[in-house]
This record gives sequence, structure tokens and C-alpha cells, in this order.
Amino acid sequence: MRPALAVFAVAAVAQWLLPLSGIWQHERVISRGTLVKIECGAPDPYDPLRGRYLAVRPAQSTVSEPEGFPDGGGMVPVWAALEAGEDGLARIKSLSLVPVSGPTVIALTARNSGTTNGTDTIWLAWPFDRFYLNERLAPDADKLVAERSRDGKKTVAEVRLLGGQAILTDILLDGVSIRDVVKQRAN
Amino acid sequence: MSLIHHRWLAEQLPAWEREGIVTTDGARKLRERYAAEPQGGLAQMVVGAVGALLIGTGLIAVLAYNWDDFPRWVRLVLALGPLAVTQAVSWWVLGRGEAAKPWQREAAALAQTLAVGAALALVSQIYNLPGKWTDLIFWWCVVSVPLAWVLRSQAVAIAYLIGIALWTVTQASERANYLGAIGIADVRLWFPVLLAGILPLWPGPELRDRPAPGSRLVLAASTLIGLLAVAAYATVRPAHMFPSFSGFPWLAMLSAAAVLLFPLDRGGIAEPLSRKPQVLLGGGALVVMALIFTFEDPARDLVKGVGFALPLGWCWLLLLVVAGFAILAFRQGRFAVLAVAALALVPVVAAPLSADDTSGWPVAITYSLVLLATAIALIALEFLGRQGAARIGAALIALLVILRMADADVSLLVKGLAFIVIGTGFLAFNAYITRRRRVAVAGGSPA
Repeated sequence: MRPALAVFAVAAVAQWLLPLSGIWQHERVISRGTLVKIECGAPDPYDPLRGRYLAVRPAQSTVSEPEGFPDGGGMVPVWAALEAGEDGLARIKSLSLVPVSGPTVIALTARNSGTTNGTDTIWLAWPFDRFYLNERLAPDADKLVAERSRDGKKTVAEVRLLGGQAILTDILLDGVSIRDVVKQRAN
Repeated sequence: MSLIHHRWLAEQLPAWEREGIVTTDGARKLRERYAAEPQGGLAQMVVGAVGALLIGTGLIAVLAYNWDDFPRWVRLVLALGPLAVTQAVSWWVLGRGEAAKPWQREAAALAQTLAVGAALALVSQIYNLPGKWTDLIFWWCVVSVPLAWVLRSQAVAIAYLIGIALWTVTQASERANYLGAIGIADVRLWFPVLLAGILPLWPGPELRDRPAPGSRLVLAASTLIGLLAVAAYATVRPAHMFPSFSGFPWLAMLSAAAVLLFPLDRGGIAEPLSRKPQVLLGGGALVVMALIFTFEDPARDLVKGVGFALPLGWCWLLLLVVAGFAILAFRQGRFAVLAVAALALVPVVAAPLSADDTSGWPVAITYSLVLLATAIALIALEFLGRQGAARIGAALIALLVILRMADADVSLLVKGLAFIVIGTGFLAFNAYITRRRRVAVAGGSPA
């Protein structure tokens, strides 16, 4: 085999391995992960490569600072154990600065966000922030979420958790997928 | 001599040979010295690249539409199918070896590169993965650059160079972001490694291949932008509310000097300035920065920054590279680029002489004088028959006088008259240089 063909073969294999490893990893979380539901907001921006999406912002964005949280402005990895409330929505039960395991543990990043009512708080960056939607549906979905927010109704992110990793699988409005709700309204 | 002149010469030579104006050996030497790219080949390559670009970007747009009526596995097949098809086409083109036409290689390589990007973007879209679109660029570049090597694709090489510069800038700006971020790559290590990824194409395994003029411009611009981003990365205090870039101006000057002094072989040195974008961009950036430092405040900040920059490993690496390149340039007699590159050394010479609380004027005046000396050197070198740049030297003197007149405490009448005199002198000098060059070409002068 000529050297050019060998280099090409290696590159071609790498071009397959990259998306396939991602697919394998994420399918594993979807098929084996624990299902949790998290309250969120979701406005509609745009990505030049991947199209339109709802920018998912979990409602629980700040919490009390855990003991031992470092000073300074940088992001710090933290592990949160989630617990479902009576309404079925998951909230943070505890935060750890070292890795912990469990079916509802999610790996987050956090930074200091100052003091609220005399309590030091941290701001959380969740490992999912986008829910991609068809460009026909995205503007209507954006309007729908805004309307519901004004009416005090909750938007819920459906997330699968496995080994601290999270995959956002759907956005639910009254337990129904936002895609279905928007399609029904369009019809 | 421009590319148009090269082509004109190539067209004339057969007739000159027939008429006995030049010998066969002389014509061969002229062809080697003033090589002209085949016009048809270039047009074919451009057409091939544009076609592949349209198909590939169309593919990305179609996939970005987000076909949510299809189940996930169908969308994954849609994402990976074009990759399989374009890989098969590239394999076929590669198998043809030298029989493959340049446009076929360009089109196949670019289409496959875009198919890789589409696959990565769609997988990311299907699983709602977080992160900005620039996060995909690193891996896209890494797995696509071998196509530039094996299919000798200028378009993929250009896309790769733009991609790595963009990614490096993104990483540097993330580091400066006061909100902070995790997983920022150390671009002091990664940018040089990624830049070296172009070496198997240019100069290639036999050290003979040179980028085409358009690609040279992208190569020089990406290198300069990437090095400036690395300088910013190296000097910024991470995750700070008020990011400080003390030391950046000097590292930026050293980066520009490294680009300006990039070593060339004899053929490269003989080429006209218009075909040496690294000299134009590196030298231009240095001169612009030096002109800024002829003012007091920027000059004071520049000298203060030397103390911040000197403890940095990246600063010493840049100094070593600039010193190495400068020695080579001196041996090759490239005195004009050395004169401009010397502008980057003023801060390190001035820093020990300036106390912390001192005014910036000594350094600003030094910069004015050094720029004046550089301009005179550029003019003198041309008059001495060396590679110089008399017009650029004259423009630099005119700019210096204008800047000093602009901030001088004299009446508008005096300023206006001075500008008229400078403008007239500059135009007269320009006309004189044009005439001198015409006479030199007609008389066969070595200048």
C-alpha cells in the first residue's frame, strides 16, 4: 500500500471513530441512565453549524456555597445528587467537591456568585444547555415557552443520568414533548 | 515581478528562443527563476473547490434543518452517509495517483472535510450536546488535515489554517473570560503543534512544495493571528473581573517579528514583496505597533509590560525563535527585514533604563527615532542595490512627520502647510523611484 493510501486509511478511520464514540457514549446514557425531570427556561437562539435550538436554563442556577468551596472567580467541578420532590421535579439535594457515585448524581461546574441574604452562593453551569429543534418549530416553541412562563406554568427538561454524565432527551410541557405540542398547535 | 509578468514572460519565451534572442539554456533558467503557475490548472482547482464547498455547505444546512420527523437512527445514517460516500470518492481519486486532476483532488478533499464537519455537527445536534460551535473545530481540523497532505488540497489546507487560528483565538478569549471555564486547552503548546500539522503539505516530505500565493497569505495571516492569540493567552490573568494583558504588546511585537523573519530559501528571497505576505503582514503589524508606541501612554505601558513578560516561558521561546531567524536573515543579507524586526527589541533595551514611575516620553521618542532610522535604512538599501523598500521607507517618514505634526502645539495654518509640503515631497519621491526603476530595468541594472 502506498504511504498516501495508508495515511488516508488512518484518517478515514479517525473520521468514523470520532462521531461513533460520541454516539456509543450517549446511547449508553440514554438506554441505561436514570430519568430525571428538571424545571427550566428555554429561549430560542441559533447555531451556525447545528441550526436552531432552545437554550435550556435549569431554574436552580444558584445554591448555597458548600463547605470548602475555593475562593476566586474560576469554574470548579462539583458533583450534585438530585432528589425528586412531590411534584416529580428533581432538585439538588447535596453538593460535593469530590466525585461521588449514584444513579442521580450529575457532574456540574460552579463558581462564586456573591452573597444573597447573608449567605454565600455559587452559580451552577449545567452540562446541558441546548435542545435542538426544527427551524420551522423553534420560533413557535420559543413563543409557547414565553407564554407559559408568563402564566406561571413550568417548562421541564427530561434528562438521563449515568455515571455523572447527563443527556437532555426532551423538553416537556404538561408532560407532553414540546415538539408534539408545537406541531399540534400548528395543525 | 508580479504573477502577470511571470505569465507574460512564459508566453514570450518560445518566440524569443525561435528568434535567437535567448538561448535554450537561458530560456530554461528564466522559466525556473520566474515560474508561472498554469492558469488552466488554477481555474480548474478553484472551480472544483467552489463546487465541493457549495455541496458541503448545502449538506450542513440541510442537516441543520433538523429532520425531527425521522427517528434518531435515520438521522444518524443521514449524518454518516455523506461521510462514507465522500470517503469512497476520495479513495478512488487517491487510487488514480498522478492521473487524478487537481480539481478532482480539491473537490474530493473539500467535500470529505465538509462531510466530517456535518457528521460531527449532526451527532452533536441529535444528542443536544452543549458547547459553542467553535468547540467542534479542534477535532474537525485534526481529522481533516491528512486530506490536505495526501490529496495535496490547497482548499482543505486553507480551511485547516483558518480553523486552527479561530480555535486558538476562542481558547484565549475563554481564558480571559471572567466567568472562567473548565477544559481550556493550553494553546502555548497546542497552536505550534497544530501549525506544524501543515508541514507534510508545505514544504512536504521532500522539502520542495511551496504554497500558492493565496494560500501563503492565509498561512501568514493564520500564523500571525494564532501567535497573537497565544501571546494574549500567555499574558492574561485567568478568570479575573478586570482582565489585564500586561506584557501582551511586547509579546505581540515579538510574534510579528517571528513571522516577518521566517526563513526563506534563495528563490523565496528573490521573489517580489507582493508574494511574501509574511513580510507584509509581520512587518506591517510591527510598524503599526511601533507607530502607536511613539505616543507617551502606550509607550509607558509597553515598557512596564516587559517586566511582566520576561518571566514567561513563551516570551523566552519567542526570543529564541526571533534570534535564530534573525541570524539566518543576517547570513542571507535580508537587511531590510532585519531593520524592521529590530523595532521589537526597543522595549527590552528601554526597560532597564526606565524607572517604574518614569514618563513614557523617552521610549516614545526612541521609537520615533528608531522608526526614522528604519525608514532611512529601507530607502538606503534600495539605493545601494540591495533588497530594500524605498517607497515604504518614504511612506513611513511621511507618517511619522504627520503624527508628530498632529500632536504638536502649532497653528492649523502651519500644520496644513506642513502636510502640503510632505504630500508633495512624497509624491515627487514616488515618481522619482518609479522612473529610477524603469531606467534600471531598461538598462539591466542589478537593482
